[in-house]
Amino acid sequence: MLNLIRNEWMKLWHKKATWIMAGLLVIILIGITGISKWADDHTVQPPDQPTWKENAAERKAYLTAELANPNISDDTKKQLEEELTITEYRLTENVAPFEFSDREQNLMDSYQLLALVLMFAVIAAASIVASEFSQGTIKMLLSRPVKRWKILTSKYVTSLLYALALTIIALIANVIAGYIFFDAAGTGALLEVRGGEVVEISYWSRVLALYGLQLMGIVVFTTFAFMIGSVFRTSSLAIGLSIFLMFMGPNIVYFLRNYEFTKYIMFTHTDLTGYLTGNMFIPGITWPLSAAVLTVYVVLFLVISYWSFTKRDVTA
Amino acid sequence: MEQQPIVELKNLSKTIGKKKIIDNLNLQLFPGQITGFLGPNGAGKTTTIRMMAGLMKPTGGEVVVEGQSLSDHFEETMSKVGVIVENPEMYKYMSGWKNLVHFARMNKSISKERITEVVEQVGMQNRIHEKVSTYSLGMRQRLGLAQALLHRPKFLILDEPTNGLDPAGIREFRTYLRKIAVEDGVSVFVSSHLLSEIELMCDRIAIIQNGQLINIREMNQVEEAHYYIEAQPAEKASELLIAQGLFIEASGTGFIAKVEQNQIPAIIEAMVSANLQVFAVQPFRKTLEDQFLEMTGGGQIAESHKK
Repeated sequence: MLNLIRNEWMKLWHKKATWIMAGLLVIILIGITGISKWADDHTVQPPDQPTWKENAAERKAYLTAELANPNISDDTKKQLEEELTITEYRLTENVAPFEFSDREQNLMDSYQLLALVLMFAVIAAASIVASEFSQGTIKMLLSRPVKRWKILTSKYVTSLLYALALTIIALIANVIAGYIFFDAAGTGALLEVRGGEVVEISYWSRVLALYGLQLMGIVVFTTFAFMIGSVFRTSSLAIGLSIFLMFMGPNIVYFLRNYEFTKYIMFTHTDLTGYLTGNMFIPGITWPLSAAVLTVYVVLFLVISYWSFTKRDVTA
Repeated sequence: MEQQPIVELKNLSKTIGKKKIIDNLNLQLFPGQITGFLGPNGAGKTTTIRMMAGLMKPTGGEVVVEGQSLSDHFEETMSKVGVIVENPEMYKYMSGWKNLVHFARMNKSISKERITEVVEQVGMQNRIHEKVSTYSLGMRQRLGLAQALLHRPKFLILDEPTNGLDPAGIREFRTYLRKIAVEDGVSVFVSSHLLSEIELMCDRIAIIQNGQLINIREMNQVEEAHYYIEAQPAEKASELLIAQGLFIEASGTGFIAKVEQNQIPAIIEAMVSANLQVFAVQPFRKTLEDQFLEMTGGGQIAESHKK
């Protein structure tokens, strides 16, 4: 199996597109950070900017008012209470949050740019099986003393490894961009409630957690593209369909958010970072539900891929 | 043939939709023997070869390699089989060498030395580290042969192997196939449209039409002895030959006569004593092409079927 994965990895990196995608990723990520910094520097700030303390006091009043509302759900209530605890802690202990212009904050927000990684990982996963059919090399590949499920597994593992490699490249590019364009925070800390206590946590652990959650969504989309590529055996359809769904899926779900069944649609759960940032896209979903729904979808996609790849005749 | 066959097709059938592409094919292939596989377009050659290469599953019957069924023991049986299906499509964006490394990794224990050895055998050592996209069709064929030989298969399946080779390459290829068949006892199964190629290369041919095997014959088998006789004047010669009790047929300036070898001296003597000028008396064999067209009934393409 290790040899098969080495083969797939070798073929992947001998394709120009693989290098182009990795290179573009670095250029675009650093470029976007640079542009946003430039735009920020050239925005004229109104003279009387509120200080963080004024903002925090305002937020505290808002949270207290929200908590007084009897109609809020338990989950929301818990979330608001935690935020209130942290806000009060900041005011009494005089601990400032990170500012937008801090390197730390920039890095913590950079997970949003991983959509690009998702797109490139989908392109690679969609073509890894389909390109063997379109080039005719599938005949060479399958007339070997290796069972088909092993070959497909090596291809799936390689697709995931590429997604992981792109995520790591993106993280490094974002760190580099952060060091080029932003300064470290003078004061400022990230706070979290742990066991009723407010503690200061490293922003790195937050960055890694956000990237990890994004990677899970990427894995789901990659598996979807992999399935379409191995069932229809054409990469263009797989790429097109996956990218279309990646952009349209969340919108469709948002549109239908008042229906119960949206809880069981994949797109409701593909952005897991909401569990950390508090910006939940569909209210009322929980960790176990997300984990279960995503697992079911991934297993389903894989079953279809394996069935199609091992049972069907090669006529290419 | 007292030898055990290496490969056996047992009642092999393939039905796609309602159409029987391959209908109860039975064939045995023996070590050291080169078998040609002929048939009109659409007769089922490619389908048969793909079932033997593990690319398609038979709907009936089985492919047996050294007593083991291909579908039940896929990895054991396929490690004895080398395949080139149609044009050898390689990974064009990698060098020939890396392509071979790629395929070598899919077998157990093929050393670097073995790859080098095979590269030399097919005469590719000067260009092996260049990208396959720069290769000519002939070079790709050589690389295709190299990948099929890497694991020293006991059975070699070749689909249109000489397509794109130059005359020197074709002869080299033929000599090489003959060598591995004789020296290593490899059984070779070659499908080709080039009948003259098959004629020169094979010990035995199998002919398929409409999914059924219509003939298997040894190439050196002489079913009926025919001789080409040319003598002048022609009318007198024909009278004489008919008088000898021979069945003759005009062919060019001479005749094809159905005659046993031991009758030949007497016939020559008769012609000479009748004052005929004898120009030629030679054994005549119908070309494979004539036989093929005779057996398959001309050039029409087999009934269509949906792929």
